[in-house]
Amino acid sequence: MIRFLVIIISVLLFYMEPIFGLFSPIELQGDFYVLVPRFLIMYLIFVSIYYDRKRAMLYGLIFGLLYDVFFIDIIGLYSFIYPLMCLVASLIAKYIHQHLLVATILTLVLVALVELLLFLFYTFIGIKSMTYTEFFQFNLIPTMIANLVFILMFGWGFKYILLNRFKQKALLLQK
Amino acid sequence: MPQFFSNKRLILLLVGIIFLVALISFSLRDRNHASVPEQLIKDVVGFGQSFFSKPTQYVTGVFNNVESLLNTYDENKRLKARLEDYASLQANVNDLEIENKELRKIVDKEENLRAFNPIQSTVIARNPDQWEEKIIIDKGEIHGVEVNMAVMTSQGLIGKVILTTPYTSTVELLSTQNPNYRVSAVIADKEEVFGLIEGYDEQRKELILKRIDSDFEVKKGQKVTTSGLGGIFPKGILIGEVSEVTTDDHGLTKLAYVKPAASFSILDHVIISKRSISPIDGTDGNNTESDLTEGAGDGS
Repeated sequence: MIRFLVIIISVLLFYMEPIFGLFSPIELQGDFYVLVPRFLIMYLIFVSIYYDRKRAMLYGLIFGLLYDVFFIDIIGLYSFIYPLMCLVASLIAKYIHQHLLVATILTLVLVALVELLLFLFYTFIGIKSMTYTEFFQFNLIPTMIANLVFILMFGWGFKYILLNRFKQKALLLQK
Repeated sequence: MPQFFSNKRLILLLVGIIFLVALISFSLRDRNHASVPEQLIKDVVGFGQSFFSKPTQYVTGVFNNVESLLNTYDENKRLKARLEDYASLQANVNDLEIENKELRKIVDKEENLRAFNPIQSTVIARNPDQWEEKIIIDKGEIHGVEVNMAVMTSQGLIGKVILTTPYTSTVELLSTQNPNYRVSAVIADKEEVFGLIEGYDEQRKELILKRIDSDFEVKKGQKVTTSGLGGIFPKGILIGEVSEVTTDDHGLTKLAYVKPAASFSILDHVIISKRSISPIDGTDGNNTESDLTEGAGDGS
C-alpha cells in the first residue's frame, strides 16, 4: 500500500495545483496578489531528500512534461526545472542535517529559486514585463507565504510516509 | 567534495541543455497548434482534471450560495426599487425586437452580426503559474469549439479560444500582456464610436481602447461592447465601461481606459460564443487583417 502512496500523492498534488490556482489572484485593497501553488515540487524535493533521488527526478521529469504540455505549451521548461531542483536538493541534503525544519527551509529556498528562474525566463522571452520590485511584492512573497502554510501543514506527513517507504525498501534489500 | 561532473556526465549535461533549448524554441515558435501527442496528453490530463475541479466548484458554489443568502435582504430592497424600471424596459425591448425582426423581413436580411450559438462550459483549470493569463475549459472540438471564438461570462467578454483539442480548449484572457491581442470595440451611446482594445494596463487593471476618432466625444461611464467588425467576435458583447479618456501618444486619436465588466479573478462557468455569420480574418485577436482590403490606419 505504502508503495503506491508515493506516486498517488504526486498525482493528487499535480491535480490540486490548478484548483488552488483558480482562487488566485487575490484582491486586497485594490492590489492583486498572485499565489502560485507549488505543492508538487515541494513534495518532490522531500522525496529526493528522504527517499530516493533518482525516483524524484524521474517523477519531476514526467510531471514537468505533463505540466508543460497541458498548461503552458512550452515544452522543456518545467520538465527541466523540476528534475534540476530535485538534484540540487539531494546534493545539498548530503551536507546538512536531515531534520524536518532544515528540509522545510531548503524546500522553500528552492521554491523561491523556481519562481525566480521562471520570472527570468518569461521576462527573457517577453511574455511578461514586470519589474523586480513588483515581482517581489505581488508574486514572490504571497506565493512563499501560501506555500509555507502548505508545507507546515503537510511536511511532517510527507516525511513520515517517505521515511517509512525508505525503511521498507531497505528491509526488502536486506532479505 | 566528490566529483559529480565526470566526463560522461558533463557530456550528458551539455547534450541535455542543447536538446532543451531546441525543444523550448521549437515549442515557442508554434504555440497555437497542438500536435497529436500533445493533444492526447491534454485530453487525458484534462479528463483527470475535471474529476478534481467539478467537486471543488460544487463546494465553492455552496459557499457562494450561503454568502448571497446573507446579503438577500439588502439585495432584495435594491432590486425591488429597480423592478419597475425593468418592466417598462422589458416591454420596450420586446417591442424593438419585434420591430427589428419585421424590418429585417422587409429588407430580406436574415443574418445578423449579433447572433451567436452559445456553448456552455466549465473551467477545469487555471494555469497555476500565473505568468500567462490562461484558463482551460472542458469543451473542445467535439463540441464545436474552434480557435478564435469569443469567451464570456454572464457579466461580459473575458477572452478568446487560442488552442483546441478534441475534449478541452485553452482560453487566453483579455488581461493578457500579449501585444497582438486585439478586439474591435464600439462605444454605442447616441452614435457609434469605434476603437480597438489593444493591451491591458497592469497597474490600473484596465483595458486600453485605442484609435478612437478624435472628432467623437467619449465620456466617462459609457459602455463599451464588441463591434462585430473585427471578424471573429459577435456584436454586442459587453466589454466594460469607460473610466478615463485621454489622447494617445501622437495626439491624433483618443485613447480610453476601459474597466472590464467581467471579473477575471475567479472564473468557473463560461460561455463560448460561436458567431452565426462566418468569421473572416480581421482585426480581432492576433489575426493578420488579410481579409480587410482597407486595413485600419496604423495609428502607432
